Amino acid sequence: MKGYWGRILVVDLTTGECFFRGVDDFIYESVLSGVGLGAWYLNQNIPAGADPLGPDNILGITSGLLTGTGSVMTGRWMAVCKSPLTGGWGDSNCGGDLAPAIKQCGIDAIFFHGMADEPVYLYTNGREAEIRRADQYWGLDTVEVEKALIRDCRKKKKPAVAVIGPAGEKCSLISGISNDLGRFAARSGVGAVMGSKKLKAIVLDGSKRVEAENREDVKAISKEYARKVRKSNAPALLKGGIFPAMGKAMGSLKSVSPMDGLFTSMLLKKYGSIMNNTLSIHNGDAPIKNWSGSAKDYNRFFYKELNPEKFIKREERKYHCSSCIVGCGGICNIRDIRGGKFEHTHKPEYETAMMFGGLLMNRDTDSIFYINELLNRAGLDTISTGGSVAFAIECYMNGVLTAEETDGLELRWGDSETIVKLVEKIAKREPGIGDLLADGVKAAAEKIGKGSERFAVHAGGQELPAHDPKIDPMLGATYSADPTPGRHTTSGGQYYSMSFLWDRVSWLKPLKRSPKSDEYIPGVDEALKNVAYTSYKMLVDGAGGCYYAMLMGAQHFKIFEYLNAATGWKKSPDEYMEIGKRIQNLRQQFNAKQGVDVNGFKVHHRVSGREPLTSGHNKGITLDIDGLVGAYRKAWGWDAVSGYPLSETLDALGIPALLKKEAVHG
Amino acid sequence: MAKGKKLPMIDFGLCMACTVCVSACPFGCLELAVTGSDRYKKAYPGLPLPDSCTGCGICATECPVDAIIMVPAGNEN
Repeated sequence: MKGYWGRILVVDLTTGECFFRGVDDFIYESVLSGVGLGAWYLNQNIPAGADPLGPDNILGITSGLLTGTGSVMTGRWMAVCKSPLTGGWGDSNCGGDLAPAIKQCGIDAIFFHGMADEPVYLYTNGREAEIRRADQYWGLDTVEVEKALIRDCRKKKKPAVAVIGPAGEKCSLISGISNDLGRFAARSGVGAVMGSKKLKAIVLDGSKRVEAENREDVKAISKEYARKVRKSNAPALLKGGIFPAMGKAMGSLKSVSPMDGLFTSMLLKKYGSIMNNTLSIHNGDAPIKNWSGSAKDYNRFFYKELNPEKFIKREERKYHCSSCIVGCGGICNIRDIRGGKFEHTHKPEYETAMMFGGLLMNRDTDSIFYINELLNRAGLDTISTGGSVAFAIECYMNGVLTAEETDGLELRWGDSETIVKLVEKIAKREPGIGDLLADGVKAAAEKIGKGSERFAVHAGGQELPAHDPKIDPMLGATYSADPTPGRHTTSGGQYYSMSFLWDRVSWLKPLKRSPKSDEYIPGVDEALKNVAYTSYKMLVDGAGGCYYAMLMGAQHFKIFEYLNAATGWKKSPDEYMEIGKRIQNLRQQFNAKQGVDVNGFKVHHRVSGREPLTSGHNKGITLDIDGLVGAYRKAWGWDAVSGYPLSETLDALGIPALLKKEAVHG
Repeated sequence: MAKGKKLPMIDFGLCMACTVCVSACPFGCLELAVTGSDRYKKAYPGLPLPDSCTGCGICATECPVDAIIMVPAGNEN
């Protein structure tokens, strides 16, 4: 076995039929597993024009090629589908305990076709697979249903379970899929797709062992990597109070120099992603007041409440996704908040802290913990929900929404009581303001009209995360031109500067420094870095790798060596990067097939700075989004006008032949 | 305890708390039961009910960093 099974489970929810089937080695050698396998399968099997919430859409749940092979930081799974938020390619990445469980069922992925009449869940142990009634689970929140299914389905070992919450059941377009009591595949509206199929849960109960071609070689890489991470520890003197100064110092630099990513592992081990909270407010990364403010507005009176020390005080223990050697997660005690409604929550991520902190001018940390659990249980994306709340506040404060339309809520910046009440309405999709905001800002603005789109911050329908591209133009290109717009994890200049890819890939020039906005000139040379990092990301997503492992750099997270050891292939880094390019082109080719207007993916004026900030680090900065997108398309070999891959680009990557390879369903 | 049975002994100096052994155990014997042993408040795997372990050794084989070895029962702590 070469790390993958060459076997998938296909489920037709309309008929209730489940069958296992083989997939050729050729496919894995072309696109790996994970997002690559998903992009290949969905391109073949979703017809053009399919309704994202209809039976023709397919939901894929994929593991990574390296998952379970003795590698570390490779326990990520991905949900793939046609996104109801953007109308195009949708995917969402998640950790927890699901990825190894998929492979322990002797499969690499599960693809759900059709639509059930009644609520159902899938149970499989790899030998058999069946669709079971889920009436008794429908309506339960994500934590309740996961615990109930483990209780009801457990034979020996604890099964791994992926679920949707009530928000997914109600097809909220900003809903996601949960596993391990609150690890989330949150983006692209994947929860709505699962809910539209009336699929409440997936229960994986296999115990097959995954083999690698050269397991000892894989382990040798893991041991070397683990030794480095074990030794990488933050000094005891380092406290959260230092981050504002660090942010200011970083923000004052005109360019980004290559940095050894082990530095981030040190901080991630101590704090997790919330290490970015106050740092990002000061280096210009964090959006404030629905992208209209800055650290001048969210000043010390506010930001001191987001000190990461304050967050880890609630941490009872660290949380690791499967095969993670860092442990950026945490299980936090929140019994003292709001009458003890919830006992625990996964430690809020930076995105959640900032979307419900600075973006809303909120300084009530307890409300952020509470909202985190509330949304996790409802099954909603915290980024999109935070963006929707910011949108509603600004609409209300500008008279676009009235108290009658907000069900009496007087929405104001920083009013945590009202913010919590509004989030509860969105989580329940209550008729009125809750229902209005449950599909995200684009849909809400279309319903409200009255010029409300000027407060609806999104890219192609996807709400923006808490990273301002005005300090990182490459991120602006990715937000506006990637097949999944408005996503911060695909690529960016700061990420690239930590990758050290230029030491491994022949077509990259050695990096001395990456220019920030002041000195950045959009062009193919800069865009090629984006091509490289995005290809690397696609490769990692095909392998099941963690984003934070990527950030540690290819010199530590040895993805190329891992893949050769697990598969027995002898591919060069250049050949692997070609695989990453192929996956990215398959994602954009999906948009082409679906006829998505990718020119509509360009970021909101506040994000680009066409509506410039009047204070703070990013004051007056305007990104040349058209120039960035043009260079990006040219570097990828995509049409300058349509944004779709050119035929010669697809031919060079062998994509037509790949898509001719047997139609796998039916 | 069956005579000659082996049980997993975990070297917490090497263990990264990555949970691979927990999900690999076909019988669900390992749990994140060991806490309070480091400054990060990590939860490490333990064997709360040694009688439930069959001694199959899959956890040791699967551990990415070889932090688990199988030893005669009684010597695992």
